[in-house]
Amino acid sequence: MHSKPKVFWIDAVGCNGCSHSFFNYGEIKELLDKIELLYHPLLPSKEFKVQRSDILIIEGALKTTYFPRLDFNLVDLIFELIKLSKKVIVVGTCSVYGGIFGEGVLFNKKKEGKFFEFKEKMIALPGCPPHPEWIAYVIEMLIENKNILMDKENRPKEIYSYTSHMGCIRNEYFEWKIDVLEFGTKEGCLFYDQGCQGPFTHSSCNRILWNEINSKPRAGTPCFGCTEKEFPKKNLFKTETFMGIPANIPLGVGKRAYLTIAGIAKSLKNERLSKRLINEDN
Amino acid sequence: MKITKKIVTKIEGEATLKLYKKDFLIEFAEIEFWQYRGMEEYLKNRAYMDACVINPRICGICGHSHLIATSKAIENALDIKIGNKAKILREITLGLEIIQNHIKWFYLTLYPSVKEINYFKALEFSKEISKIIALIAGQFPHNSYAIPGGVTCDLTNLEIIKVKNSLSKMFDRYQEIMSVDGKSLDLEELFSDIPKSIGKSLNRFLILGNNLYFKSNGNAEFVKEEDSISLNKNVLYKDKFYEVGPLARNLENDLIKKVYEKYQDSIYTRIFARLYEVNLIFEYLLKIVDEMDINEKNYIKPIKKNGKGIGVIEAPRGSLIHKIEIEDEKIKSYNIIVPTQFNLSNGTKDKLSPAQASLIGEYEQQSDLIFKCFDICAVCVSH
Amino acid sequence: MSKEEKKLEIMKTALNLFAKNGFYTTTIADIAKEMGMSVGNMYNYFHSKESLAKELLIYTSKIFGDEIRKINDMNISSKEKIKKIVELYFNMAKEEPELVDYFMRVYLSNKEIFSNGCEGMLCVSAFVTEIMIFFEEGVRKKELKNQDFFAAFGLFMGYIGGLAFLFREGILGKDLDEYIKPVSENIYNALKA
Ligand code: SF4
Ligand code: SF4
Repeated sequence: MHSKPKVFWIDAVGCNGCSHSFFNYGEIKELLDKIELLYHPLLPSKEFKVQRSDILIIEGALKTTYFPRLDFNLVDLIFELIKLSKKVIVVGTCSVYGGIFGEGVLFNKKKEGKFFEFKEKMIALPGCPPHPEWIAYVIEMLIENKNILMDKENRPKEIYSYTSHMGCIRNEYFEWKIDVLEFGTKEGCLFYDQGCQGPFTHSSCNRILWNEINSKPRAGTPCFGCTEKEFPKKNLFKTETFMGIPANIPLGVGKRAYLTIAGIAKSLKNERLSKRLINEDN
Repeated sequence: MKITKKIVTKIEGEATLKLYKKDFLIEFAEIEFWQYRGMEEYLKNRAYMDACVINPRICGICGHSHLIATSKAIENALDIKIGNKAKILREITLGLEIIQNHIKWFYLTLYPSVKEINYFKALEFSKEISKIIALIAGQFPHNSYAIPGGVTCDLTNLEIIKVKNSLSKMFDRYQEIMSVDGKSLDLEELFSDIPKSIGKSLNRFLILGNNLYFKSNGNAEFVKEEDSISLNKNVLYKDKFYEVGPLARNLENDLIKKVYEKYQDSIYTRIFARLYEVNLIFEYLLKIVDEMDINEKNYIKPIKKNGKGIGVIEAPRGSLIHKIEIEDEKIKSYNIIVPTQFNLSNGTKDKLSPAQASLIGEYEQQSDLIFKCFDICAVCVSH
Repeated sequence: MSKEEKKLEIMKTALNLFAKNGFYTTTIADIAKEMGMSVGNMYNYFHSKESLAKELLIYTSKIFGDEIRKINDMNISSKEKIKKIVELYFNMAKEEPELVDYFMRVYLSNKEIFSNGCEGMLCVSAFVTEIMIFFEEGVRKKELKNQDFFAAFGLFMGYIGGLAFLFREGILGKDLDEYIKPVSENIYNALKA
């Protein structure tokens, strides 16, 4: 029998949210049983030292206002660990693109990041936080030596080919261009006014659901595009419009096609959806 | 005098503890945090609503508390009063965040620094708790459902029934960890070879938030920050250091009071209060969940565009303060004071912070445990 | 003559009659008579005056839409595009006054007859979509000010429509061409970033 793959989980500058998200993975025990955990910032593991690993997991961004650790500054420490690892899972938007806190490991927002040269062995899992199933999926695929189909940014296609719009319970409202007039209602789609970025955000969160039960747009909160390079954009609760027309339209359609369809749908009113979904007299 | 530097890991983030010793006993201690993230600067000039997305990211384990404090600060600045239903929902999700925090802290942070434990039952428990939060708030961690003016969700009775039943179920299951009559096998096992009375501190307590069943005994106006030797700032109340957190805010409870009378503010009392608080929160949530009127509005749109406000709550680790200044719907200034700053300030020998005081006169071997009893969040501190 | 060509001819004839005698007073019989067709035969092409009116609207909207699309595809500034759109509209107003008249007046002032199958912007979507694209790109390129769509749309179309009306009523002292420059400059000044 092969020995268990050695996994090293390093936290750079972040909020530990990726770890706490991962803790919600239902079969975490079964998963951890299959690996040898060299280090994790919170889970019981061995002493922190620079060492070889089969899988290196990097959580958090690169930033210079960080005290040296084992006499390495943060960037050098990450560099050493990457060199000594076979595969690297770049976990979370901070680590993939930079997010709120700094520069990413693989990218720096839209540009190449400090460790872009190691892209070959990296798998990118953006998300603030990434969904626990995503992290587990990549670890499992690596354990089993299976091929992970990836896009140009090294994101697994089985996750990021979806948009967070797919699976939203407000889809019918989106179809008929019925917006939410105010926060806190079950009716309406949050795309037109409240800033929902679902139709152009790569994520399967609304399909597999958070905590096995819900999602932001389902709970009336717009999607903030937490898996994307420019997260967090400005004015997150407001749809960016140019002359009243959404600045960002659903992935894959031309503006002309979208505006035509939108105009038609808006003109042909859906009576049922124009009323409160649950009301006393219907 | 001998000085040792210890890196404290397996807390939320990391910190360095510098111990000054004489005859094996700790004489003085200094605490250093490693990073600074500049959140307050990052918020400047953004739309105030953006704070509801950015601030939960201050911390992966207590980000929801930051969200609630943010919305409260904005509501205070813009004179917004929220409805009762929104208030109750926020209490539930915040209460649940405290619960998942305490469980993870006990089994992941504290216990393994003394002896091995099957921590998976804690992860399983906190996973279920997170699920109830998500049912209301969309997800956990990092939701933004509590916004100035109320909440974004519009629940039906189906969800409310599920929330209620899940609360009862988890309350029931918690009895194995710490029962309502104060019995905890895991806690007694932890102390099988550690003295219960070590780690006594200042015996001075502060409660600033009025959420859940907590009643404040002070006013956040008197809280001041001052520079310290570490990257973070010291926090004083009326020029004195105070302990905040579960021990501070639960001394009214008979059972906790009894333990306190026996062991004073030692590590045992501190841990007991934290574990027992979970029961009190469950009881409180089960009471208020029935007081919700489902037909009430979830959200009231803010009108004012300018103002100064403060949001104070009792978060998992104690009093949390957010202050905001809004000008033309944009953030002009933002200030965050977290509980760990209160407990882990760097005072001088004649003016010690709670964590420093708790280490003095103790053996170095115990320092890790004593220190961790404050449930340190280095992540929050380095906001 | 194919059926489509015949339909087109009927529509053009109808346009003329609408312009000459007004939309309401013109009947299907009048149109048939003008075409030299029987009313029964007309039925093979249009079931009612309403359906004729509707198709006419789609037809004119498409003509405008196609032309504006050409302008949208040009690699020129928003200011130059405004001038081209004004020019296009004024030329049409001169060369095909019935069409412009119908589009501006019949459609906008008789919206109730289009309520069945022509709700909202449905029949004029080809035209409105292109105007939207023109506005959206202008704002995106930071050449136009970001504002409410209808505020900008009303300013643009109301203004040039108004001038075309004055021209047809014979009130304008000068030729429409002479207004292209000042009108497009005024529009640009009102819309620019
Ligand atoms: S709320 Fe967002 S995710 Fe849901 S349907 Fe609308 S655009 Fe899509
Ligand atoms: S809905 Fe959007 S912001 Fe929320 S988790 Fe999914 S991708 Fe991220």
